[in-house]
Amino acid sequence: MVKEYFKPASVDEALELLAAQSSFALAGGTFALAFEARDKPERAVDVGGILPRTIVRKGAGLYVGAGATFQELIESPVVPDVLKDAARMMVNRNTRNRATVGGNIGANKSCSSLAPILLALGAAVEYQERGKAPATEPLANWIAEPKGLVISVLAPLEAGIQAAALRVSRTACDVATATVACAYRLNGGMITGLKLAVGGFSAHAQQRQDIAALFEGKALPAKNDAEQAVRDLLVARDDQRGSADYKKLRGAALIADALHSAKDIV
Amino acid sequence: MKVSFYLNSRAVSWDCEPGETLRSALRRKGIISVRDGCDGEGSCGLCAVLLNGRLVNSCQILAPQVEGQKIFTVDWYSKDRKLSIVQRSLIDASCVQCGYCTPAVTLALHELLERSPDPDEDEIRDALSGTLCRCTGYEQFYDAAKMASKRLSDPTYQPPVGPEFKPDLRHVGKDREKVDAAALARGEKAYVEDRVDADACHLQLLMSPHAHAWIKRIDVSKALEMPGVVDIVTHENCPDSVYTTAGQGYPEPSPYDQRMFPRKVRHVGDRVAAVLAETPEQARAAIERIAVEYEVLEPVLSIADAKAPGAPIVHHGDVSYVVGEPPAGSSVKGDGRDDPILYQFPLHADPHRNLAASVADGIGDVERGFAEADVVIERTYVGTRVQCTPMEPHVVYAKVDSGRLVIHASTQVPWHLRRIVARAIGISENKVRVIKERVGGGFGAKQDIVLEDVAGYMAWKTGRPVFFRYDRAMEFMTSRTRHGMEITVKLGAKRDGTLTAMEMKVDADTGPYGQHCLTVPMNAVSKSLPLILCDNARFEVKTYYTNLSPAGAYQGYGAPKGSFALQTALAELASELGIDQLALIEKNRVRSGSRIEILRSLGEGRPGAPVTLGECGLGEMIDRGRKAFSWDKPKPESSDPDWKIGRGAVIIQQGSGLPGLDAANAELRLLTDGTLLMLSGGADLGTGLDTVTAKAAAEIMGLDMEDVTVVSGDTDTTPFDKGAYASSGTYFSGNAAVRAAEDLRDKCFRVASEILGEPVADLAIVPRGIVRGKRGEITLAKLAHMATQGEGHGDLIGMGTFKTEHAAFPYGAHFVEAAVNVRTGEVKLKRFHAYQDCGTPINPALAIGQIYGGVMKAIGHSLYEELLFDEKGAPINLGFTDYKIPSIYEVPEDFHVELVPVEDEIGPFGGKSVSEISLNSAAPAISIAIHDAVGAWCRVWPFTPERVLRAMGKL
Repeated sequence: MVKEYFKPASVDEALELLAAQSSFALAGGTFALAFEARDKPERAVDVGGILPRTIVRKGAGLYVGAGATFQELIESPVVPDVLKDAARMMVNRNTRNRATVGGNIGANKSCSSLAPILLALGAAVEYQERGKAPATEPLANWIAEPKGLVISVLAPLEAGIQAAALRVSRTACDVATATVACAYRLNGGMITGLKLAVGGFSAHAQQRQDIAALFEGKALPAKNDAEQAVRDLLVARDDQRGSADYKKLRGAALIADALHSAKDIV
Repeated sequence: MKVSFYLNSRAVSWDCEPGETLRSALRRKGIISVRDGCDGEGSCGLCAVLLNGRLVNSCQILAPQVEGQKIFTVDWYSKDRKLSIVQRSLIDASCVQCGYCTPAVTLALHELLERSPDPDEDEIRDALSGTLCRCTGYEQFYDAAKMASKRLSDPTYQPPVGPEFKPDLRHVGKDREKVDAAALARGEKAYVEDRVDADACHLQLLMSPHAHAWIKRIDVSKALEMPGVVDIVTHENCPDSVYTTAGQGYPEPSPYDQRMFPRKVRHVGDRVAAVLAETPEQARAAIERIAVEYEVLEPVLSIADAKAPGAPIVHHGDVSYVVGEPPAGSSVKGDGRDDPILYQFPLHADPHRNLAASVADGIGDVERGFAEADVVIERTYVGTRVQCTPMEPHVVYAKVDSGRLVIHASTQVPWHLRRIVARAIGISENKVRVIKERVGGGFGAKQDIVLEDVAGYMAWKTGRPVFFRYDRAMEFMTSRTRHGMEITVKLGAKRDGTLTAMEMKVDADTGPYGQHCLTVPMNAVSKSLPLILCDNARFEVKTYYTNLSPAGAYQGYGAPKGSFALQTALAELASELGIDQLALIEKNRVRSGSRIEILRSLGEGRPGAPVTLGECGLGEMIDRGRKAFSWDKPKPESSDPDWKIGRGAVIIQQGSGLPGLDAANAELRLLTDGTLLMLSGGADLGTGLDTVTAKAAAEIMGLDMEDVTVVSGDTDTTPFDKGAYASSGTYFSGNAAVRAAEDLRDKCFRVASEILGEPVADLAIVPRGIVRGKRGEITLAKLAHMATQGEGHGDLIGMGTFKTEHAAFPYGAHFVEAAVNVRTGEVKLKRFHAYQDCGTPINPALAIGQIYGGVMKAIGHSLYEELLFDEKGAPINLGFTDYKIPSIYEVPEDFHVELVPVEDEIGPFGGKSVSEISLNSAAPAISIAIHDAVGAWCRVWPFTPERVLRAMGKL
């Protein structure tokens, strides 16, 4: 239950405010107010006005300000289709109009729509901690050990890379049961540089180098072969979205489909 | 803190709490059009506003966040009570049913048209992706969006006229504006939550965390001392009587087994205490200070648990009967501690063995029938619990006014509510007035008295006005689900498909209390077996108490589960015999003139009688579906090897109210300017019942729709009506309205005859409101004026009563084409066609909308919805994030409804019921299509991908 509301004028001020107990960062509010703030947090620190919302190409990469909404990502002419596909995984337009890129990364949930594709693309995250200068590190590292306030995301978009982002859910507007993204090159028909990330099989979205290694340097496998190869590498738990066995099967199918549906990103 | 922003183009500056949501602030300031169906989860979209031109959920924005921003609500589009192009189009496309989502849909479409004036279907779908609607099935929203788009460039655009019926009538069989649609589209005050006075107190419940436990000790002393607390009621100080919450005709075929606050809690969410306080926060704080000591008991969590020898006993009080004797061998002596159970008459129950009710009967010689069969199959089908999930949860506002209890209710049964609350409180019915407000979806859940008893009691006891609104979690925990059922069907047939014997055994789970415990499971049989002609048929129904959430009425009652079992079994039999499933249906189905003997055994709460059917449109409906789906040709092939295509078809039926049990009344007054006031007892849930009664009046009195105002569902000002359930609205309440109008017309003739000096036989009413004889004429206005003067005949008032012994069955044939993914078990509905008979469609587009909505709910039940429980009996999916109902994205690609009317000789203008029947088809049709696609029978619904994979042997 929110009892105090702060609207800081800068990231530094926001970080000071967030250092107090029971504080939480508020931007779009689609996660923070719906779930996070229902119980303990009492101090809302509105970072919506201080985070960048810019979406621009920077060299061979894409810069996305943490304050950009999912809908803005979809409407941007500089965002590649595979990222738009990932943003559209948030099917509910009302939510897309408010949910921010920073919020989706910062919540660090396994069902994140954007994290898997950003991991597969090898994105970096710019963040800032209290009393420190902004820093940048690979998103994979940040997800493993989140810190500070997410300021922006930088996703490399190299020519020749093909990528896909897929999800499965019970209904279109449901939270994802599983999410998969991959990015690789095809060199002479062989998969090279494969990065593969999954959501729904651990507390956070994660890059799966062990799964990627199965296919590295090989021709695109038949879907059935890919499924059989990866099914037992996925760890799932029973919940209302299905049994662990089902999720492993479904996640494996999703991985196979992602490998087959990857398209050039540039 | 002060928040300044622009609201509907005006600068405003409001004092807000820092944590107040924008929705809450807007409602507090009188913008009531921002509704709430999901408690801030952001999944229903009913609180939508336009924020700087974008559609957003106002429940997920803190009021201080909109400082300096621009907000538009539907009120902007309703300025001066005008209607925008979108609102007008939603009304014209018959999209306004309960209306609870209409303001949100209006804003979504305005936002869409602003950025895309000529949207395609993908854009419309995307625009409405955040709005949940349980009534309409979404399909007609596409029509509205396209209509509004055309009107942007041509405001005079009128869409092509839809199907019309009854060419001899002016209004009946033609689309007319739903009488409450404009008010609902404008977001005006209409629902219970809009009637709450500023001084209202708020009620909160302490609910049981245990599925089965004695309350050993409860201490409310600290809670009573909390600020703002007005009163607290528990099992220690509540009225000491038992009753049923089932809003059925009296005497109810449901046991009186519920005390306002039980001594023993019987499900997670059962009532332990209620706190009345001046604010919701104070009530919640006080709840935290109530100390309860439980003696936790082993729960009964399945039908198998319930009937196991030595099972824990859910109800162990004394059992008694108002009429009749206990069944031989049943136990009636209680444990001396539990609350008693009172049956109005025997239901073949034995509560101390967890048997709440049972019935068995049949016709012919079933054993001989099976012996004569070439093929016999026996299959068991399981239907799990599904929640009604009206977008407006249960809500009530009760207050004492002039020494009487006045209850503003969102109910399907105003009169049953009055009776049950009066009994629960211990006062007489003349001390209670129930006013049914507009209902934001009922679907059966509001046929029960879920919260009005405790709210009414606390208002009556304290004299303070009481507002009580369930949150969504409470709705899931303690509202009414469809009964869980396990149905075993045994069929015998000759090689040519002729059925020789049928048997249905239904085991049902009523949960902790027995509301509708006989009639819902019985309905699984009575709305499925009579579709099939077989000389030898029998059934057995047993309903058990468990410690899961309460079951009760849900649109379709037990019929969807019975239909799933029998229709799927027929398809399985056809498969065994190697013949086409439709051919098997054709060989055995009822048809015009059939004598339906099994109805002898299938009375609902009373003895039944065989029926000789009049006209039956099933043949025509099957033919239309067969043609549309090219049934006799090979099915379509999928271009994707992962997806296989399958088809399924079923026939379905329902009733039209309860012959011999229920009744309806209406009163029609001629006002002095020649317009009409219809006082109908009927309870319009958004179905358009008030429009039906208005049409009856306008049609018979030669007036236009705007000449009729309907007041309905007020126990003080309108006459008795059984309520809206059992598909009775059009048939019973509509017929009462017809009779009231005919009575008024005849009275007008008698008075006009004297004035004009012409015999009654020479008089007729012609539009608009003129009584015309062979020589002269008089307007209804003049007639009314003359009648009400000092020398006149007195008020011209028509009275209408309807009751009947006649059973009117609507029928349907529904066809599905589904794609099934052989790798993942996912099911996509490519086509869903509903060919359906509702007699004369009184308002065709509204009838079609009812069918879309019913089918879409059933699709949800078939593929996605299931109330899940943990190992201790606690329901675990308590919100729309976890319990998924269909959004617009789940609508079949080709969704089509076609009316094939067969007039009923008793129905109003030939009308029958329309909506409930639509829920009976999806589960069997989809399960048959899945089998046709991948060769696996799914016998447990919902058919989740996991269950499909298991049926295919892939898991």
